[in-house]
Amino acid sequence: MDMSPYRDLFVSESREHLSAFAELIVRLEDSPGDSASIDEIFRHAHSLKGMAATMGYEQIVTIAHLMESQLTRIRSGEFMLLPTLADLLLEGGDVLARLISGIESGSDTFEDTTALTERLAAFDPSVEAPPPPRTNQPDVTAVIPSETSDSAPHQFRQADSFKSIRIKTETLDHLVNITGELITNRYRLAESIRLANASECREPLHQLTMLLRNLRDEVFKARMLPFAFIAERFPRLVRDLARKQGKEVLFQLDGKEIELDRGILEEIAEPIVHILRNAVDHGLESADERVMAGKPFGGTIILTVSRDKDHVEVVIADDGRGMDSERLKLKAIEKGLISSEQAAQMPPQEAYQLVCAPGFSTAAAVTDISGRGVGMDAVREAVHKLAGVLTIQSQSGQGSRFVMRLPITVSIINALIVQCGPFEIAFPLNVVTRTLELKRSEILEEPGRSTVILEDVSVPVRSLRQVLNLPSVSVVEDALLSVIVCDVGGIPVAFSVDRISGQKEIFVRPLRSPLSSLRGVSGATVAGDGRVLFVVDVSILV
Amino acid sequence: MNRTVMIVDDSLFIRKILRGILVENGYIVAAEAGSGIEAMRNLHSNHPDVILLDIILPDSNGLDLLESIISACPNSKVVVCSSIGQPLVIRKTLDLGAKAFIQKPFTPEKVAEVLKSLED
Repeated sequence: MDMSPYRDLFVSESREHLSAFAELIVRLEDSPGDSASIDEIFRHAHSLKGMAATMGYEQIVTIAHLMESQLTRIRSGEFMLLPTLADLLLEGGDVLARLISGIESGSDTFEDTTALTERLAAFDPSVEAPPPPRTNQPDVTAVIPSETSDSAPHQFRQADSFKSIRIKTETLDHLVNITGELITNRYRLAESIRLANASECREPLHQLTMLLRNLRDEVFKARMLPFAFIAERFPRLVRDLARKQGKEVLFQLDGKEIELDRGILEEIAEPIVHILRNAVDHGLESADERVMAGKPFGGTIILTVSRDKDHVEVVIADDGRGMDSERLKLKAIEKGLISSEQAAQMPPQEAYQLVCAPGFSTAAAVTDISGRGVGMDAVREAVHKLAGVLTIQSQSGQGSRFVMRLPITVSIINALIVQCGPFEIAFPLNVVTRTLELKRSEILEEPGRSTVILEDVSVPVRSLRQVLNLPSVSVVEDALLSVIVCDVGGIPVAFSVDRISGQKEIFVRPLRSPLSSLRGVSGATVAGDGRVLFVVDVSILV
Repeated sequence: MNRTVMIVDDSLFIRKILRGILVENGYIVAAEAGSGIEAMRNLHSNHPDVILLDIILPDSNGLDLLESIISACPNSKVVVCSSIGQPLVIRKTLDLGAKAFIQKPFTPEKVAEVLKSLED
């Protein structure tokens, strides 16, 4: 029988088994007596073995069989899941994942697994082996993303095969694009109807609007995946990093059932890995240091996902050494990123965001100072590309919190449209906290700095004309100034604009070269009358 | 002749392979189920002639499920298809009323042969 038609299914289902397998091993290490977990781990290894045997992949059968034998010994109570065996089983899982990737890519050369099979066969619980050298292998973070990133389809495990089908993610992307174009065209149609004063068209237009809204909702629903889709590998990642550093870390993951657009999930997976890595490597102190500081021996990292109306918040909090805002400022002055005057005026919560400034740090330089900063500029950029906001909070000695506020969907966003000189500009609504009209007299003019007091907080006011290098206009003394207040990494910033023209649902298109190099612009959209609106990246304007 | 078959297995991969073998041998796959609950739900609407049943399912004890299926659908012939090879378990399934046992991993020939042997 020709088995090739079943190969893709074998690959995707094997991966599910492997990722569940690794996740459960890590969990079992935390609660070693959990017999249900052992049974479950055994079942995954066993199913994989059976599937591989059906396909005739002997190498996989052999490894899975040896892993199963060791699990049988644990199951029978011969010994507990020792860290050395956990290492070996996880390594086995990684090797199997690579073999399966090899099968997927159709390559017929497979890596030599004799060393692994020998070690699996000869495992002796009484011999305490050092952790295996992982340096010469592909990093865990480098291996596993290949499963989640490219075009791994959503798995409909155990789903009724008549009720669900697999769709290429490409098709879903096309559907979003078409829906976006439809929304843009609806605005054009509405504009023409208004100009022609064609009142008989109003009712069908209204119907069209409703249908478009439904279509948009359904298309987005189809693209949603639970956060667990990328989070499954995090416990394992934290465990491996902690073990490499000789630290003990309790990792907690809350809200993994919350759904996000798969495009967003794809973009934030690596930034989250980055933050977790920083937290384990630099944020958490060594056990000795912790005990000296009167903290529990092991550190804690909590990743929480929560939903709030149109947004999802991903928070990564650790109870490590935290950051020292004064030292961060000194470092920033040293690097020429800010002046001493700016530093003196900078509140601590603003200083923490400095770690995201490009060129702020290289790993070695910052580890002993702040414990942070490695590549955080890339993290911030990734979050901003998604029209999200990254906020860093910290307390020296108590730990740090990294908060990503993200839209649930990409491409189609709600935006506030403002007028400034000849331009119409769209501000993503999720960064706008309020709009208001101010009298000139309410703005406190200090040299080089204008502020307004809003609810007892002094908020800097920037003129959007100035930011965009447009000539300023003379304003009548009594005229009210339109101002929008934005949340930039947890800090309020107000922009004065010529006019606020309203709120609109827009389909954001990424800019291509050479426009993509425009500073402060994250995309563009076409308005109802055919004009191009730029979407701003507020964080860059500040 | 046994024409219609229901496949119960939590692995989509195994279900598709079994479906391929069955269709090639002239059977009609009346339903597929990925869990015990789904199996019971499909049973009443389909009344398949033959049920290919994996007894390791995430949501049910396989032997209990086997009993429930046989009492709910006494006219269907149940073939247990599993990787559990202990003679004791195999005996138990046959005692409970299964008509045959297919050991996983199976070959297409084995599946065809077992199904043929069920013909009256």
